[in-house]
Amino acid sequence: MSEKEEHLDAPAAAQSSGEPVIRSADDSAKGYTVHAEDWHFDEVRVYVSGTVSMDNAEHVRRDLVRAVTAQPMKNVLIDLSKVEYFDSSGAAILLDIFRVTDELHTSLRLVNVPERIRSLRDFADLDRHIESGILQPRPEPNLLIQIGEGMLQLHRNTVDILTFIGAAVEALIHDVARPGKLKWDRLWKLVDKAGSDAVPIVTLLSFLMGCILAFQAAVQLRKFGANIFVADLVSVSICLEMGPLLTALIVAGRSGAAYAAQIGTMQVTEEVDALRVMGIDPIRYLVSPRILAVALALPCLTLIADLAGILGGCLVAAFSLDITPVGYFNQVHKVLEFTDVMKGLIKSFVFGIEIAMIGCLRGFQVRGGAESVGAATTSAVVTSIFILTVTDAVFAVLFYYGPSF
Amino acid sequence: MSEDLQSNHTASPPIISVRNLTVGYGDEIVLRDVSFDVLQGEVLAILGRSGCGKSTLFKAMVGLIEPIQGEVYIDGEKVLPVLEGASEKILRKVGVLFQSGALFSSMTLAENVAFPIRLFTKLAERIVERLVMLKLAEVGLTGKERLLPSELSGGMQKRAALARAMALDPKILFFDEPSAGLDPVTSAEIDQTILRINATLGTTVVIVTHELHSILTVADRVIMLDKDEKNIIAAGSPWELKENARDQRVVDFFNRSPADDRGPVR
Repeated sequence: MSEKEEHLDAPAAAQSSGEPVIRSADDSAKGYTVHAEDWHFDEVRVYVSGTVSMDNAEHVRRDLVRAVTAQPMKNVLIDLSKVEYFDSSGAAILLDIFRVTDELHTSLRLVNVPERIRSLRDFADLDRHIESGILQPRPEPNLLIQIGEGMLQLHRNTVDILTFIGAAVEALIHDVARPGKLKWDRLWKLVDKAGSDAVPIVTLLSFLMGCILAFQAAVQLRKFGANIFVADLVSVSICLEMGPLLTALIVAGRSGAAYAAQIGTMQVTEEVDALRVMGIDPIRYLVSPRILAVALALPCLTLIADLAGILGGCLVAAFSLDITPVGYFNQVHKVLEFTDVMKGLIKSFVFGIEIAMIGCLRGFQVRGGAESVGAATTSAVVTSIFILTVTDAVFAVLFYYGPSF
Repeated sequence: MSEDLQSNHTASPPIISVRNLTVGYGDEIVLRDVSFDVLQGEVLAILGRSGCGKSTLFKAMVGLIEPIQGEVYIDGEKVLPVLEGASEKILRKVGVLFQSGALFSSMTLAENVAFPIRLFTKLAERIVERLVMLKLAEVGLTGKERLLPSELSGGMQKRAALARAMALDPKILFFDEPSAGLDPVTSAEIDQTILRINATLGTTVVIVTHELHSILTVADRVIMLDKDEKNIIAAGSPWELKENARDQRVVDFFNRSPADDRGPVR
């Protein structure tokens, strides 16, 4: 039986005891009755009977609170002898009533507690020890703390990234210096997955991109009778920008995300640690083949994308601008230089390294469970898109001001 | 071998009855024509060596996989596959503690425990909060309410998962390998919690396990499955089986002796 400190200083004269007060004896349909009567000049007895379950707990609580607060000066005794069924929600209500009496500075006693909720005794003052609001989100710390934590996070992140880049570059150099030791069949499998499997989607999107570019250009160029320049616009913009960037974005969404999820899951299931205890450097085993694979596959895909895009332009030119395919390709041949294509391929080689690195890095940063893997995958794609665009801008400047080929 | 397995020490109808159950994956049959009852308020352990179909049977009993043949009844009501309209009545009666705990990693402990309560009842937030406190206190996790599962040790995760399984005061609790991966002290604590719930709340408990020590501590009755037989090969009280079993497979299991006679490994 749990009993709180008695507060006997409650003035009793105001309430003279008389006939029993029936607070709420209805709802036999709901399976319970709450019945309160004055007992002493300073005590009110509340009888609960019937069934108290999760389905009617809300009503029981309401009635109990009403019974307890009706005579706020009196101590409360709750008698549970006639209770037939009483589950944890009943215990939860009683905890709540304890809080109510606490606020009224009266005491609450339980008598005839059924065997199955005896253990409640141990938890009776749980309520006072625990801050409430355990189901609310954690309160935000103040701004200074947030800034501090942010800086620490940034520092840790930077160290992580630099360490990872260092380790990856070291592993790469190791592998490239001794190609004999490389596991070529594993590498080809990765190239297959990152490259060959992406051919259909890359071809389709690039072809459509070529069509769209040609179509939009046609609308403008037709006004000046400069139809033939569609070939210039499509071929140069596809080979220099759209081809490499579009392909890289597709591969970032496919392979970059896949690497993050795969390595992240391996991290969660301790597969990465298993590699470590076997003396295998996970960076060398997992990361460097992936970087090589994407760096090899991406230029090939870009070349396919260039071709598909130019073909797409040709199709639109033939149908909506009356340019013959021969005329179109002649113009392409005249304006498109070998260096333009090469610039695109060099870019895509660098993009490939970045995509694989970011994917693997995010995978290695996974801590915890499913949610963290999801976050890593998202972050791999978002970071890739950002870094790819920045790199593309850098290349644009470099190619413009740098030495020409 | 169905009727003779029912123990007859109480007259109340069985709370779970498994009737001629055949389960498997695709063409592979794991268990064939299994029948048994679980009585109200007992602790039943389903035993067997790895791969004998314990977990498959457990999944069929809670409606996670559809039986090829036969039925499972809980409190007289047929268990349907969970996604094909299992009744809310059955779902509320059953709590499941999975082998890995299976706490939702994106939610705090308190939110994990509150999840089924919010789903199945219309209790006000403050009552839900008290209930969550009670349940977490019952498994000894007071003060850890706001932590994420990933911030806890394996044993604590298991206890939190137990709190979630008990959140709605289910009539039946299923445990899949409750002591897997736990230290002896923690697994003994889980055993004690199982016994306490069974004693104070009268909850029927079904445990899938091969942990001898905990079988002997908690189980009123065991049924043992076998891989080759694809059925129950023994049933009865654990001590009785340990002392008197004739079947070599049961003897091997209880004596922890290797099945084939290859002698000690050098």
